[in-house]
Amino acid sequence: MRSRGVLVFLLIATVSFLTCQRNEKNMPESITIFCGSASKPPMEEIVAHFEREKKIKVNMIFGGSGTLLSQMELSKQGEIYLPGSPDYIIIGERKKLLIEKSDRIVAYLVPAIITPAGNPAGIHSLEDLTRPGVRVAIGNPETVCLGLYGIEILEKSGLLKGVMENVVTFGASCEETATLAALNKVDAILGWSVFHSWNPERLEFVPIAPERIPRISYVPISIPVFTKDSDLSQAFIDFVLSPLGREIYQKHGYLSSLEKAKEFAPQAQVGGEYTLPAEYFDLLR
Amino acid sequence: MNRLFGIFTVGAASLLCFFFLFLIGSMIVELGQESALKAPRSSEIFFAIRLSLVTATAASLIALFVSLPVAYLLSRYTFFGKDLVDTLLDLPIVLSPIALGAMLLIFFNTPLGHEIERLFGPFVFEVKGIILAQFFVVVGLSIRLLKSAFEAIDVEYENLARTLGYNQVQVFLRVVLPMAGKGLLASFLLVWGRAIGEFGATVTLAGATPLKTETIPVAINLSFASADISSALVFITILIGISLGILFFLRKVDVFGRL
Repeated sequence: MRSRGVLVFLLIATVSFLTCQRNEKNMPESITIFCGSASKPPMEEIVAHFEREKKIKVNMIFGGSGTLLSQMELSKQGEIYLPGSPDYIIIGERKKLLIEKSDRIVAYLVPAIITPAGNPAGIHSLEDLTRPGVRVAIGNPETVCLGLYGIEILEKSGLLKGVMENVVTFGASCEETATLAALNKVDAILGWSVFHSWNPERLEFVPIAPERIPRISYVPISIPVFTKDSDLSQAFIDFVLSPLGREIYQKHGYLSSLEKAKEFAPQAQVGGEYTLPAEYFDLLR
Repeated sequence: MNRLFGIFTVGAASLLCFFFLFLIGSMIVELGQESALKAPRSSEIFFAIRLSLVTATAASLIALFVSLPVAYLLSRYTFFGKDLVDTLLDLPIVLSPIALGAMLLIFFNTPLGHEIERLFGPFVFEVKGIILAQFFVVVGLSIRLLKSAFEAIDVEYENLARTLGYNQVQVFLRVVLPMAGKGLLASFLLVWGRAIGEFGATVTLAGATPLKTETIPVAINLSFASADISSALVFITILIGISLGILFFLRKVDVFGRL
């Protein structure tokens, strides 16, 4: 009786495996996108439009930018890579996982102070972050570009020492840093202005004085070397950068044009590299 | 002295129960404060529940089916290299699921991996990948549990059956399996519970694709990753509900003591 049950189960398993295989063969043209979790809401909307218009199936795999890069490297798959920040494009190109110079800018990211809803500690400027007893979080400057940008702002404003004394934890990713504020674990974080749009009920946005922002970041999109069809990859990038794609990103709180980003930081440089100052490492000790 | 010991044991149990209840309670309070507007779409919730149930059941059944002969072998026979086999099969229990997932991802890049994908269709970033990942995470546990269940059966019953004319297959199917029945069910439920909560290996091999490879733990991760706490809380509540359901059922069938 039991052995018969097992046999039936095996039969079902085999049949399902075989049918799955047949379905795969009949599948329409499809592309796989490795997408940073932060871009999930706008990208899901863009992909829905893309699938409808181009009749191409899009598989979206979400995760942290670095994790996705590892998954791509190990699986040797992917038509599009869309991390949260440009530093992953640099890593990807260095590892020869991305087609060089295939990256484009999808949206701009402007640094801002983000507080839990209601701004319980009354933070209104960078100086307020140095007040005794204020609990601050930043992205880990050595692994998350958000942290690096935060340290640069603090260094250039001469507030590095004061704020670092109040930093109680580092976020392991942009999203994790945002969650620290959303869960009221800290009084403020140094984040991107878009964090506020991710969760407007739980997060508040305090702008940083425009002249104090030396650099703005951006969400890039690039083509992996594993792409089965680079024309199709390019067609997808063009679709994301089309007025419709930009409009969707804007709707989700991103700054999709340089002019708009420059309103928050007129003198800021876009992207580029910044090396952590020795003072930062001294403060860590 | 006896009284002090009694107070100590009851106190420890009460404290721990209180802590767990507080954990669940604080989450429910947090959930109550969230606006219902931000809750995930019901289609996404049902998809995650259905996928989790289907994959965990398939992975656990396959794991149990594979573990049966292995556990029986390990519980009844001694052979050269048994310690080595035992240690190797224990590996999935101690190995971090993310390491297991990465190893599977690498495996599918080898010629053998390619051949398997050619024969059975793709596993990487597919639902079949979830089942495979969960299978490897739970199979060690499944072997361990079944081995204990078999070891609890007196070998004399089997010897007696042999003297009465049963062959080894008959002994296994008609004596050992029925006697280990409750142990088998308990093992299945524990293995199933472990599979339904599996995240690390699943997300590494099958990826986090909404409405495709989105099991409940993946949904929790995706919600957290986009700072969408209310959705995460809804999924956590569902996972707690399912987990408590399994444990309650285990108590009902009264087999926990056998393990």
